[in-house]
Amino acid sequence: MNPDRDSIFKEETTILEHLHLDGDQHILKLNSPDIASTALPGSFVHVECGPQFTLRRPISIMRADKNSGTIELLYKRLGRGTTALSEREVGEPLSLLGPIGRPFIPHPERKRPLLIGGGVGMPPMVFIAESLRSDSSYQPFAILGSEVPFPFPVTPSQMVIPGMPDGVIGSMPLLEDWGIPNRLASLQGYPGTHDGYVTDLARHWLDALTVEERSQVELFSCGPHPMLEAVATLAREYDLPCQVSLEEFMACGVGGCAGCVVQIETPQGPAMKRVCVDGPVFEATAVFGA
Amino acid sequence: MEKPSLSVDFCGIKMETPIVLLSGCVGFGEEYTRVNGYSNREIGAICLKGTTLEPRLGNTPHRIIETPGGMINSIGLQNPGAEHVINNILPNLDFSETRYIANISGSSVEEYGEIAAMFDDSPVDSIEINISCPNVKDGGAVFGNDPEVSARVVEACRKATTKPLITKLSPNQTDIANNAQHCIDAGTDAFAVINTLMGMSIDIDRRRPIIGNNQGGLSGPAIKPVALLKVHQVYQVCKDHNIPIIGQGGISNAEDAIEFIIAGATTIGIGTALFSDPLICSSINSGIEEYMRKHQTSSLSDLTGTLELNQAAPATPSCEC
Repeated sequence: MNPDRDSIFKEETTILEHLHLDGDQHILKLNSPDIASTALPGSFVHVECGPQFTLRRPISIMRADKNSGTIELLYKRLGRGTTALSEREVGEPLSLLGPIGRPFIPHPERKRPLLIGGGVGMPPMVFIAESLRSDSSYQPFAILGSEVPFPFPVTPSQMVIPGMPDGVIGSMPLLEDWGIPNRLASLQGYPGTHDGYVTDLARHWLDALTVEERSQVELFSCGPHPMLEAVATLAREYDLPCQVSLEEFMACGVGGCAGCVVQIETPQGPAMKRVCVDGPVFEATAVFGA
Repeated sequence: MEKPSLSVDFCGIKMETPIVLLSGCVGFGEEYTRVNGYSNREIGAICLKGTTLEPRLGNTPHRIIETPGGMINSIGLQNPGAEHVINNILPNLDFSETRYIANISGSSVEEYGEIAAMFDDSPVDSIEINISCPNVKDGGAVFGNDPEVSARVVEACRKATTKPLITKLSPNQTDIANNAQHCIDAGTDAFAVINTLMGMSIDIDRRRPIIGNNQGGLSGPAIKPVALLKVHQVYQVCKDHNIPIIGQGGISNAEDAIEFIIAGATTIGIGTALFSDPLICSSINSGIEEYMRKHQTSSLSDLTGTLELNQAAPATPSCEC
């Protein structure tokens, strides 16, 4: 019998807020008590964008509040499904399946999580950051990258981060409010951001740590595949554990169709693993090699 | 009038409802139980993931893409091999919940027989012969599109098992009814009609097919009219032999299901529709019951093949203008 029986809810939610931001980015806040109560960092929901679509669309959860029974999603309008989704209005219902997927699992002995999110890979990093707030023994650092305007007002940080290049002071206010240091990177020259890659900042940060501090680092990342590959290369170079969240075209979202697989390496050889229920979070070494 | 009963007898298999979950859509039978509110007890039977003699890694991603009114898939029969399925998966299934049907694919006629023999000595209720998979080079439709070869595959399986055999027919052939007749003569007990239609989707920026395998099988509401006609055609050769049909292809509500039953199906297959609504079987079951009450039908089998064709139109008068 499946040990995960009854773990995914089909929930008819209500749209509480729908923010439309620059760069075709949108933030949905939904009344979704069942999903909010069991979602974990890395979980996603499978969203019905409209009756005209045969398939749902997988979207990462950015925040889940058990107390208020709400979740927040950040998504980018890319194709027909997300275009239809972007036209949904506050008060309308929205059918979700979720929470789905194996989450990010921090190792308790690694007290310096390095969170690296790119584009619509930022939301799971926000979720991890919020989940780590309850344990003050963690000292996370977040690096966010975007090639469209960041989906929040870039604000000068009050926190000093050793190793950061001059002028790289922009931060995400929400993380800053939570006391989680963070910096931003982009190739678009946005003020206060690093003009380069997220991995440049990661390298600066790692190099500024002592050997002892660096041994406590673990990387968590979500974003475009080339970025994840660069993050995995960095982790390998510094001999640090790294978990990455992947995406792939998806049909059922519950493990039935094997449509969303990625090839990973296992001790038994190559295997096709389902992003939906075997992932979306995988060890970087399994995806990109040890 | 008696209370409508959804239970059906499908070539000796007693099913609690007429819904069969289709191979390749629901893994090895337990995947959808992840969804709160879903129950295998609402399902008549589950066709397990297509199984080959040796393990298969399956095709390179992307494996699926949405298309208008449907989707294309090319999974490539990813599976852990027959021995693993029989020894490690079947023992963990709860056979009190529903009926389980193995789905087998071989790379030769003899291999089909070999896998059928392996499943003969297993608890599955039936064996579905997949001679119509569009997504593998060394099997599948190679067998299913030639009636003579289809018959040889069925014959090999028939010799290997006493379990009911269901032959899954391809729509990608010239005369599906002719193929069905050959399979009946070779000893099939039932049919699944239809497998997916071959299709392609292209990324116009990259000028490449989106599907890693270039082409795949089209499913979903877009293929329903095709499937319905194929069921009607196959039923014409089945009805005199008492050979039942799983009607499948784009069914996404009770009305669709009833259309297939009227066309000649004894049970109805649900696949792609589950992807948008994993709880759809419950509403299809109740919709069928409602139809049976409205039409004062107590047994679903009374509806099978009740289609009355329109009279052929008279010849068009010659134009005198």
